[in-house]
Amino acid sequence: MRLTLAALALCLPTAALSDVARAVESEILPGFERFATATAALDTAAQASCTGPELEAAYNDAFDAWIGVSHVVFGPIEDQGLTLSFAYWPDPKNQTGKTLGRLIADEDPVAADPATYGDVSVAAQGFFALERMLYEPPGTGDYACTLTQAIAATLAANAASVTTAWSDFAGVVTSAGADGNTRFKSDEEARRAIYTALSTGLEFIHDQRLARPLGTFDRPRPTRAEARRSGRSLRNVTEALRALQALSVAFSDDPTPNLDAAYERAFTRIAAIDSPDFSGVSNPGQRLRIEALQVDVKEIQIETINEIGAAMGLSAGFNALDGD
Amino acid sequence: MPSRRAILAGLAAATALPRAGWADAGAPSHVTAALDKSGAFALYGLRPDGALAFRVPLPARGHAAAVHPTAPEAVAFARRPGTFALVLDCQSGAVLGELTSPPGRHFYGHGAFSRDGTRLYTTENIVDTGEGRISIWSRSEGYRRIGDFPSGGIGPHEVIRIPGTTRLAIANGGIRTHPATGRDKLNLDTMRPNLTIAAEDGTHLDTAGVPDAMHQNSLRHITARADGLVACAFQWQGDAFDSPTLLALYRAGQGLDFIPFDDAVTRQMVGYAGSVALSSDGTGLAVTSPRGGLVVSVDIATRASTIARRPDICGVAPGSDAIIATDGLGQVHRLSDRLQPLASHPLAFDNHLVAI
Repeated sequence: MRLTLAALALCLPTAALSDVARAVESEILPGFERFATATAALDTAAQASCTGPELEAAYNDAFDAWIGVSHVVFGPIEDQGLTLSFAYWPDPKNQTGKTLGRLIADEDPVAADPATYGDVSVAAQGFFALERMLYEPPGTGDYACTLTQAIAATLAANAASVTTAWSDFAGVVTSAGADGNTRFKSDEEARRAIYTALSTGLEFIHDQRLARPLGTFDRPRPTRAEARRSGRSLRNVTEALRALQALSVAFSDDPTPNLDAAYERAFTRIAAIDSPDFSGVSNPGQRLRIEALQVDVKEIQIETINEIGAAMGLSAGFNALDGD
Repeated sequence: MPSRRAILAGLAAATALPRAGWADAGAPSHVTAALDKSGAFALYGLRPDGALAFRVPLPARGHAAAVHPTAPEAVAFARRPGTFALVLDCQSGAVLGELTSPPGRHFYGHGAFSRDGTRLYTTENIVDTGEGRISIWSRSEGYRRIGDFPSGGIGPHEVIRIPGTTRLAIANGGIRTHPATGRDKLNLDTMRPNLTIAAEDGTHLDTAGVPDAMHQNSLRHITARADGLVACAFQWQGDAFDSPTLLALYRAGQGLDFIPFDDAVTRQMVGYAGSVALSSDGTGLAVTSPRGGLVVSVDIATRASTIARRPDICGVAPGSDAIIATDGLGQVHRLSDRLQPLASHPLAFDNHLVAI
């Protein structure tokens, strides 16, 4: 009897956890905790000094943490309308540069009050606004410093807000299908939300982070690379793939050998790319490797469909993919 | 005890001829194409409560249907670039006839009946020249094709009739495609979408083009109010992150009036509006973005908009007291200030929901 109970106790924590609960508890919640902590540290660093290596280090840590959860837009981020407030990219019209330039030119007093800075255009908020202020400042001096601090403070406050909301929302996700759960009316709906996070996260890497700077062979577009000013273009791809792989592993009930292999190929390829800001898209040798990485990501997308989506009976949107 | 078949046959005999009404088909309020779990495509009738009223098998993926103004008859169109359309008796499920696009042409997936119900209009592409045409088919002659006229542009996608009138509205998407290259878009640099208003005899009455600065905003789906207001939903062919707004209102002689959304909403629509519908009282409209998984509701008078989220939501049509929406996960919703589930089916509802 004692043995049976012990065995039960040993089994329960894992056996009782559904794929959805594993994804939420082992990846999503810790990811948001890390995001809140890292952005709080970024805010502290910015209030201490609005330029310098310590702030840049805190910025990079916080950006890594954001990449760790940026694909989890369903739930609090979407409900609070904060997707673009964290990351306004792609930005083909340079809205971030224009909006920051305008704030600085006007010395807009909105920056003096971090409590209301969240009301300014989302293009002047989040990681890409802060990147401008740190790596290609449209202005310097007291006002620019105040602006940097306001962006960091707002970012930290928003991160805290979505992280707090996730502690409740986690229960909504993991109780999918229960009476009174109007958000997720079945397990399948919750599974689909996580699967969509995986597939759209991968699609964003392929179609935006890689395809935009690659452009065409005749016309590479290095200035379209994400976070090129902070030299994080490749790092964002790496961090995103790591986070998506971890979420896949937690989410999937079955072994995913082809998917695992596809991720390994991508990480091996990344190690051979010597162009952190993807300026190498204009250099034939580097370009070849970045193009090959894009193919690797496509393989990951395909194996995600085969080994996770199909295995769970999930497919991408019938209408979303139709294009008519 | 008589068999179900006998009862149905008796019902059909009692009510079908000469002028059966829509109430006979299990009182459906809407029709839509869908895919079932076995991979089969069919046209379904939906009742006001979201329940299924009938099912008529289709040979391939459907797109939209033209509903006859009085008879329980619908013409279901193949998905672009299909060449068939089926005339269906929605009472018995019988296929009454089949339309085949003329040689060298294909359909775009939409059509509309004349006010008196005697003629059907279909949007077509002349493959060799890329010219858009509207064919006219005579219902009383077994849907014989009796003529055609220019659509007023390239790539006419949806044609509708403005309710209560004999005027047609034609959404010329502007994009040239060729079946040999599937859905490849051949003229993105030069495309010029427009809305063309035509009389039922084909006379063009007005044309409203998109501004030069957004000439890649392809007009695809439209819906109209009896006063002639046409709501227009677009699909942006440029950089999705540089997308202009995807909704405009047309009023006679006043061109297209684009309705801006919040930048964040436009970005989430990923340059793609799937369907558009007016509320039955004509004061509001809804435009869907299946890619963004959201539906935007707009108050026409104030132009204020609100969003509701649902993955793969696409079909929208007026219901008695609210807009009804369908999604690729088989859900039927009532759209009030939020999406309220009405019914759930093991189906993937296709792009369009058509009110009867």
